Amino acid sequence: MGVNKVTDELVSMVRSIVGSEYSDMDVIRALHMAKNDPTAAINIIFDTPTFRKLEIPKNPEPVNRNSNPVSQNPVLNSKESGNDEKDSRSLTPSSNGSVKCREIKESDKEGKKADARDLSSSGCSSSSSLGSEWWFVGRAEVAGLSTCKGRSLKPGEEVLFTIPVERKLSSPSSGKFGGGRGRQISVCSEIVRFSTRASGEIGRIPNEWARCLLPLVRDKKVRIEGYCNSAPPVLGIMDTINLSVSVHMNSAMFQKSHQSSLKVASGDESVIHPLPTLFQLLGLSPFKRAQFSPGDLYTRKRPLNLEDSDPPTSLLQGTKFKCSLALDENKVETEETISDNDLDKIVGVENSSELEEMEPPSSLLCELRPYQKQALHWMIQLEREDCMDEAASTLHPCWDAYRLADERGLVIYLNAFSGDATVEFPSTLQMARGGILADAMGLGKTIMTISLLLTHSERGGSSGSQHTSQILTRNGEAVMIPEQSPTPKKAGKFSGFDKLLKRSNSLTSGGNLIVCPMTLIGQWKAEIEAHAQPGSLSVYVHYGQSRSRDAIVLGQSDVVLTTYGVLASEFSTENAETNGGLFSVRWFRVVLDEAHTIKSSKSQISSAATALVADRRWCLTGTPIQNNLEDLYSLLRFLRVEPWASWAWWNKLVQKPFEEGDERGLKLVQSILKPIMLRRTKSSTDKEGRPIIVLPPADIQVMYCELTEAERDFYDALFKRSKVKFDQFVEQGRVLHNYASILELLLRLRQCCDHPFLVMSRGDTQEFSDLNKLARRFLKGGKEIAEGQTRDVPSRAYIQEVVEELQKGEGGECPICLEAFEDAVLTPCAHRLCRECLLASWRSSVSGLCPVCRNTVSKQELITAPTHSRFRVDIDRNWVESSKVSALLRELEILRLAGSKSIVFSQWTAFLDLLQIPLSRSNISFLRLDGTLNQQQREKVIKQFSEEDGILVLLMSLKAGGVGINLTAASNAFLMDPWWNPAVEEQAVMRIHRIGQTKNVMIKRFIVKGTVEERMEAVQVRKQRMISGALTDQEVRSARIEELKMLFT
Amino acid sequence: MATNSNLPRRIIKETQRLLSEPAPGISASPSEENMRYFNVMILGPAQSPYEGGVFKLELFLPEEYPMAPPKVRFLTKIYHPNIDKLGRICLDILKDKWSPALQIRTVLLSIQALLSAPNPDDPLSENIAKHWKSNEVEAVETAKEWTRVYATGA
Repeated sequence: MGVNKVTDELVSMVRSIVGSEYSDMDVIRALHMAKNDPTAAINIIFDTPTFRKLEIPKNPEPVNRNSNPVSQNPVLNSKESGNDEKDSRSLTPSSNGSVKCREIKESDKEGKKADARDLSSSGCSSSSSLGSEWWFVGRAEVAGLSTCKGRSLKPGEEVLFTIPVERKLSSPSSGKFGGGRGRQISVCSEIVRFSTRASGEIGRIPNEWARCLLPLVRDKKVRIEGYCNSAPPVLGIMDTINLSVSVHMNSAMFQKSHQSSLKVASGDESVIHPLPTLFQLLGLSPFKRAQFSPGDLYTRKRPLNLEDSDPPTSLLQGTKFKCSLALDENKVETEETISDNDLDKIVGVENSSELEEMEPPSSLLCELRPYQKQALHWMIQLEREDCMDEAASTLHPCWDAYRLADERGLVIYLNAFSGDATVEFPSTLQMARGGILADAMGLGKTIMTISLLLTHSERGGSSGSQHTSQILTRNGEAVMIPEQSPTPKKAGKFSGFDKLLKRSNSLTSGGNLIVCPMTLIGQWKAEIEAHAQPGSLSVYVHYGQSRSRDAIVLGQSDVVLTTYGVLASEFSTENAETNGGLFSVRWFRVVLDEAHTIKSSKSQISSAATALVADRRWCLTGTPIQNNLEDLYSLLRFLRVEPWASWAWWNKLVQKPFEEGDERGLKLVQSILKPIMLRRTKSSTDKEGRPIIVLPPADIQVMYCELTEAERDFYDALFKRSKVKFDQFVEQGRVLHNYASILELLLRLRQCCDHPFLVMSRGDTQEFSDLNKLARRFLKGGKEIAEGQTRDVPSRAYIQEVVEELQKGEGGECPICLEAFEDAVLTPCAHRLCRECLLASWRSSVSGLCPVCRNTVSKQELITAPTHSRFRVDIDRNWVESSKVSALLRELEILRLAGSKSIVFSQWTAFLDLLQIPLSRSNISFLRLDGTLNQQQREKVIKQFSEEDGILVLLMSLKAGGVGINLTAASNAFLMDPWWNPAVEEQAVMRIHRIGQTKNVMIKRFIVKGTVEERMEAVQVRKQRMISGALTDQEVRSARIEELKMLFT
Repeated sequence: MATNSNLPRRIIKETQRLLSEPAPGISASPSEENMRYFNVMILGPAQSPYEGGVFKLELFLPEEYPMAPPKVRFLTKIYHPNIDKLGRICLDILKDKWSPALQIRTVLLSIQALLSAPNPDDPLSENIAKHWKSNEVEAVETAKEWTRVYATGA
C-alpha cells in the first residue's frame, strides 16, 4: 500500500467504502492527498463535505489531523455531512427499531461488488426480513494454527468456526456489550476451532481473536465467515493457515442494547471490552478518533511530570472541544499549550481572581459582590449556552466513530472506555454541563445560584429547540441518549429497554430543580422570594405527604425545591419514571445544594440524584471532599463528567493510584476538577489582592475545663472499664472488627465529659419510640415465634395490656431491682425489665432466660421500651451542673448583659435536654432546633430566634444545624463537644460567620482536660490531613487503629 | 451495721414489704446484726399433716442475691420427703430454677406450698420418701406426730 502510484485496487478499496456517490477522480484525488493511504483517503472524503466542489483542502494531511482552529469548520461540517449522508441513504435504523426496506437492495449491491468468495456472505446479509440484518464490519487476515496432521484445505475453501458453548450461562446478557470480567475469565480458556466440510477440524484461531469473538458471537452480536487464503499442501501440527475472516455485526443489537449497555458497564469493574478489541484486530481505525482514549491515559500517565500535558484538562474544558476534537497525537503538544493557557483564563482554582465578571439581570434585587459576578460568569460559561448547537453536533470525546467496511457506509460509534457501541451520534450534549461550585461556606453560593437561575432559565429540553429538533431528525434520538445512560437504577430494573424509551419520550419539560437538606428548603424559598423580582421566578416546594405527583405541576414552576429525602423516596418507588414526580420531568437544570450529601456513591440518594434527567447539573458544596477521595466520584457521576462517571475508570486511574500513594492519582483529580470546579475561600483575594469578602473577625477559642473531683472519679472509673475492654480487643487483634463496640465505649467517655448523666442516658431512644410500631412488632413477633420454637407465646390480651401500660406511661417496677424501670427493655415474651438487671441475670452475654417466665431470650430480641425520659435518673430533681455546663453558664451570663445571642451546639440531643434545666433555672430564654422538628417548625424556630430580642440562646444539635442555615443574628457559638470530623464543626460555626454578619464573632469550643476529648483534638488534626489528601488510604487504615489507641491512653 | 449500710436497695425494699404486708401464714424478719439474715416462721398449711404447726426457718441472702438464690433451712424438725434432718430443702427454685425475679416472699410461699404437696418422687430424705411411697397413711401420721412434738407451742 505504500506504493506511490494510485492503483486500481486502492481505488476500488476506497470506493467499496465510500460508495458510488463519489467520482473516480474524487477518489483518486483523495488518495493522492493521503499519499495512497486508503484509510486516510476515506477520511478525507468523508470529512470534507464539500469534497467534490472544493479544489484542494488547505491541509494536505487528513482533516482529522488539523490543528489550527481555522479548520474547525470543515471538521464540524464534515460531521454533519456524514450524518446527512447517512440519512440520505436511509440506513440508520430509526430508534424504534424499524429498518428501512432499501437494505435488501443495498446488500445486493454489496453482493455484486464483493469478490467471489464473499458471495455467500452477502446472501446472509439479506436475511433482514426479521428486522435484524448483518452489517459487514470488515475483513482481516488471521493466522490460524493447524491442530491436525495430514489433512489439507485449498485456498478459497470455506472454513466453519466452532464456538464453544459457554459453560455456565448464568446471565444470558441480552444485548450486553461490555462483557463482565467474570465472563472473560471463563472465556479465556476456551478455543475457537475451525473446520472444513470436507476434512473436519483443521485448526484454531489465535487467542486474541477468540477472546473477543467468543462473547460477541455467542450473544449473536457478531457473525464470522472465513476462507482459506493459503495453507501448506499437507498440514502438520502447528502449521500456519492463513485465513480471511469477515465479520458481520447484527444490527438488532443496536436496537436492543445500545443504551442499556452503557449502564451495565457503569457498574462493571472491567475496562477491557471485546468490541473495540475486535475492531482493532480487524484493522479498523476510527475516522473520528475519540479525543480522549484509554490509551492516552496509560501512555501519558507514565511520565510523572504530567502537569501541563494532562489530557483530561483539555478534555473537560468545554469550550476547547471544538478545536481539540480533531486532534491527532502528532499535534498534541502545541494544542495543549493553547488549551492550557486558555483554560487558565477561563477557570482555575488558583487564579480565579482573573475570572470575568458578569452582571446579573435586573430581576436580581440585590447587589452581587465582584466575586459572585465572577461565579455567575463562570457558571454561564460552563453551561455553554453559546455552543449548544455545536455541542449537539460535536462528537463526544470518549467515543470513536468507525465506518464499517459494509457497502452501505454504516457508521458505528464505540465508546473507548465502556466498550459500548451505538449507531446514534454521541454528542457532547451528553457530557457534563455544569460543575461544582465549591466556594467556602458563607460566600453566598445560594445567591450566586439564584442569579444563575435568573440569568437563564427555560424548560428542560426546550433550549435551542431548533437545533435540538434538527439533531433529532438527523440522529434519531441522539439528544435523548445522555439522559438514560449512566446509572443503573436498581440491578435488573432496566432490563426492559422499552421502558427506557417510553420514559425518555414521556418526560415532561421542567424548569430548575433544587435539591437540598430539609433544613434549607425554607431558606431557599425565602432567599428566592427576597432576592428575585416578584414574578420572575415561580417557586414550588415539592415536599411532604401531600406533594403533587403530577409532572405537569412540577414542570410548571420555574423553580422546584425538594429534599434529598423526597428524591430518594420517589426514586425507590416502583416505576418512578411513569408514576409522575421528580423522575418524570426532564429538568432544565438540577442543583444539588450541600451536594456532599450524595458522597457515598453506593447510597440510594446518590443513585437517585444521578438518575435525574436534566440538561444542566450543578453541585453546591463547601466541602466537595469530606472524608474520602471517593466522595468526588459520586459528584462526578452525577455531573456526568466522562469517563469518570464510570467506576471502573475512576477506580483504575484515580482511586487506586491515590490509595497506593501514587501522586498521579491526585494530580489527575486536580486536573479533572480544575475546569469544572470553582472554589474560593474567605481568604481568597481579587485581582488587586484584596480579600474578596470582608467579614467581621472571628475569635475562635478553646475553653479547657477541669473536671470536678466527683466527675473525675466517675470518668476514671468509666475509663478504666472501657480500657480493659479495648485492651482485650487489641490483644485479640480484633480492633477493627469491634469498631462499633469501641466507638460505643468512646461515646460513653465523650458523653461523660459533657455530663455524667449522659452516660446514664439511653442510647437508643430513637428506635421504637413509636409505640404503635412497637405494638405491631410485638403482635407480629408472637406469630413468628409460634412457627419457630415451641415457646410460650404471650397471649394477645397480655401484650395488649403491656402496650397499653406503656402507652399510658405507667411506671411499674422492674421485677429484679424492684425499682421504677431504668432503661427498660421488653422481652419477646412481653416482660419488662431494666436492661442492666436483665443482662446481669444472664450467665452468657448474648442470651439467657427471661427471669419472669424462663423462656430463652437473646439479647438481639430485646426491645427498648419507650419512655418519656431518656434518662435513667430523674434529672430535674437530682440536677447537678457538670464543670462544662458551669463554664457555659458563666459565659452565657456575661453575654446576657450585652444582649448578645448565642448558639449552643452539641452532638447529643440528650445533652440539650440537660442544658434546658439550668437555662430555665437561670431564666435565660432559649429555643431549640434538632432533628425532631419538621420543616415548618424549624423555620419557625429560626425566624423566632432571629427576630425576638429576648431569646438569647439557641440549643442546636450539630447534625440538624450543620448545613446552610443562616443564623447571623447570633454572634456567639459554643461547641460543647468535639466531633470527629472538624469539617462538621466548621460548618456549624459558619452558620454565624458568614455574609450578613455585622458583629464580631466569638466561637468557643469546650474541651475537658485530660480526657478523651483532648485526644480527639489530635485525631481531628490527622483527619484534616486525610481530607487534604496527605494520607493515603493504606495509611488511614493503620492510622485508625493508631487513633483508637491514642484515644485510650 | 457496717455490712448493712451496703445493703442493696432491693433487699431493703423487700424487707420493708415483708414487714408491712406479710404473706398469710408467713412471717420473716431480718436479724438485728445482719440484715441479710432472716428469721422466718411458716404456719403449717391447713389440710396438710403440718396443720397447726409453727415452723421456724432461717433465710440468708448471699452477696450475689438476687442473682443467686437465698439460702433457706428449716430449724424446726419436720417429717417431709423433700426436707432432710438438717432442715435442708429440696426445691428447684432454690437451686437451678432460681430467677432474680423471685423474691423472699415468693420463696417462702413456695416452701409453704411444698408442705401442702410433698413430692416423694424427688426426695431429699430417702427414708421418709420410701415411707411416704410405701405407706402414705402411716407416713402422714408420723408427720402429724412430729408436728405435734416439735412444731407446736411448747
